Amino acid sequence: MIRVEHLTKDYPMAGGTVRALHEVSFEIPTGSLAAIMGQSGSGKTTLLNLLGGLDGPTAGRYWLNGRDVSDFGVVEWSRERNRTIGFVFQAFNLLPSMSALGNVELPLVYRRVAPRQRRQRAQAVLETMGLANRSHHRPTELSGGQQQRVAIARALVGDPPLLLADEPTGNLDAETGQEILDLLAALHRQGRTIVIVTHSAEVAARCEVVLQMRDGRMLPATAGADGGVAHDLG
Amino acid sequence: MTWADSLRTAWAGMWSSKLRALLTMLGVIIGVAAVITLVAIGNGASQAVASRIETLGTNVLFVTPGPGTPFTTRQVAYIRDNTPVARVVVPLLNSGGQLSVGTSTLPAPVVGTTPGYQALGAIHLAAGRFLAPADITFNRDAVVLGANVSQALFGAGNPVGAHVSLLGQRFTVVGVLQPVGQGPGVSQDNSVFIPLPVAQFLLSTQNLSAVLVGASSPTAASQAQDLLTNLYTNRFGSASSVTVASEDQVLATLSATRATFTNLLAGTALISLVVGGIGIMNIMLVSVTERTREIGVRRAVGAVPEDVVLQFLLEAMVMSLTGGALGVGVGLVLVHLAPLILKTPAVFTPSAVVLAFVFSTLVGLVFGMYPAVKASHLHPIDALRHSG
Ligand SMILES: Nc1ncnc2c1ncn2[C@@H]1O[C@H](COP(=O)(O)OP(=O)(O)OP(=O)(O)O)[C@@H](O)[C@H]1O
Ligand SMILES: [Mg+2]
Repeated sequence: MIRVEHLTKDYPMAGGTVRALHEVSFEIPTGSLAAIMGQSGSGKTTLLNLLGGLDGPTAGRYWLNGRDVSDFGVVEWSRERNRTIGFVFQAFNLLPSMSALGNVELPLVYRRVAPRQRRQRAQAVLETMGLANRSHHRPTELSGGQQQRVAIARALVGDPPLLLADEPTGNLDAETGQEILDLLAALHRQGRTIVIVTHSAEVAARCEVVLQMRDGRMLPATAGADGGVAHDLG
Repeated sequence: MTWADSLRTAWAGMWSSKLRALLTMLGVIIGVAAVITLVAIGNGASQAVASRIETLGTNVLFVTPGPGTPFTTRQVAYIRDNTPVARVVVPLLNSGGQLSVGTSTLPAPVVGTTPGYQALGAIHLAAGRFLAPADITFNRDAVVLGANVSQALFGAGNPVGAHVSLLGQRFTVVGVLQPVGQGPGVSQDNSVFIPLPVAQFLLSTQNLSAVLVGASSPTAASQAQDLLTNLYTNRFGSASSVTVASEDQVLATLSATRATFTNLLAGTALISLVVGGIGIMNIMLVSVTERTREIGVRRAVGAVPEDVVLQFLLEAMVMSLTGGALGVGVGLVLVHLAPLILKTPAVFTPSAVVLAFVFSTLVGLVFGMYPAVKASHLHPIDALRHSG
């Protein structure tokens, strides 16, 4: 699913450049659950943004689904995100002026799905998230856990094979966080490739691929608790 | 994203801050309403000019002194002696005065002239008579009222024989004119006519404002014009010290002035539209900043830069076009109110609506483009990281 080689990312700063990623290479097979771990500032978010094409690398190559996407332009990446990638952010990033339904519909709007169909589809996904009776609420009228489930519904509505989640439980209490992780694990069992940035060793232990980062470098690869067999989180 | 979706998003964006959108649109509303109203007033004036060309007859020349040129009653005899083709030569002294009857007063243009004025063919009496030779000879305080003046001071009644006070003197009304309709500048309906010597005495002047020369045919009028032009150019050594022009020419000049005036007004109105556009641009820039994060989210779920351009450009267009439509409404109301409030004719022209719409579309496009393009150039990561 994902293969990167010598991926490097420099941020130009006033007093020189900051090297956030240093020749990172790894592979995440299709259908696996992967964790990216590391201290704060080690480059996890930077890496995830590169994987989702929200930012471009300074150097290195990237294959997504067997295709070399290293030289993708802005428009190609927009299409790619729309079709094959779902994002879940730590800060939820829902649009406050829209209902839960409107937020979930958004990827389908840019896929030019007709209004009636995308409403049905969004409603169906919200139902699977247990939010059937919240679809007309604004994000501010929802709890943190509910907001994150709306965000996951938005990531899933276009049925992308890859889900990228940057500390999806970072803004939630332990119990709600567990619920969200269970949800991601269930999605993984349905065959999706899921990459989670997490600080939790417990979560990482259940992942088939664990990428350890330190100061922008990738530490030697370690396998999950039982050598790559899919497990439920928690 | 489809056009319908972009439009819906744009409309929702505007609707979510109605007051702000309305205030932003105000510039365009005022601009469009101003274009429509001012063009209508300008057109009204021009049409009135056209309809007035017939009132004094086309065979009348205006002999008007330039500033500082001595031009006394003697010019009447001078012109009559040197212009055999002239049928009638009439002196004019224009002024303004306050008419009062009892407690009601009215400001009105005052024309000092002689009975010959009637021979020019523009005077049609509703009651009484026009100024008579005896009024001149004996310096009688006689006055002939224009239709509107009579209406304003005496209502529907017949004022002949009544007294009005004017320029500190008590005048006797000897006649009332029939209405001729709204005209440019000074209308005969709003004027009053008094004997020239009385006017000169009350205003303590020997000078005239103009001498009217009536000829019996257009050919005779143009002969008289050439003759008088030469005469005065030779006499004063400058072509501009005394102007000799037919009424058509005077009115054409007036008409041209009006047209220039209308264009100026329309130009001013268009400038206010541009100012409205700057208001839209300002608010759109604020909106882009406020919604930076939204832009990031949209980009993250698959919006291409063109989608972002379209969203914000359409929002600017929706504002300018809604403003334009409201402005047309306000303009139409003003066009109907203008004759009542400003006492000036206003003629509505559909082309003004087209002009206003084209302009407000342009304003939306031109001033919406920069904020929209700016929004689309935002880097998705920077946009998502934006706080607030
Ligand atoms: N836009 C930027 N400009 C300059 N430097 C940046 C930028 N974004 C990240 N960095 C730097 O890159 C390094 C990695 O940042 P990153 O956000 O990827 O860390 P992280 O592993 O996600 O940390 P955390 O766990 O706190 O979220 C940091 O040193 C950070 O200062
Ligand atoms: Mg991070």
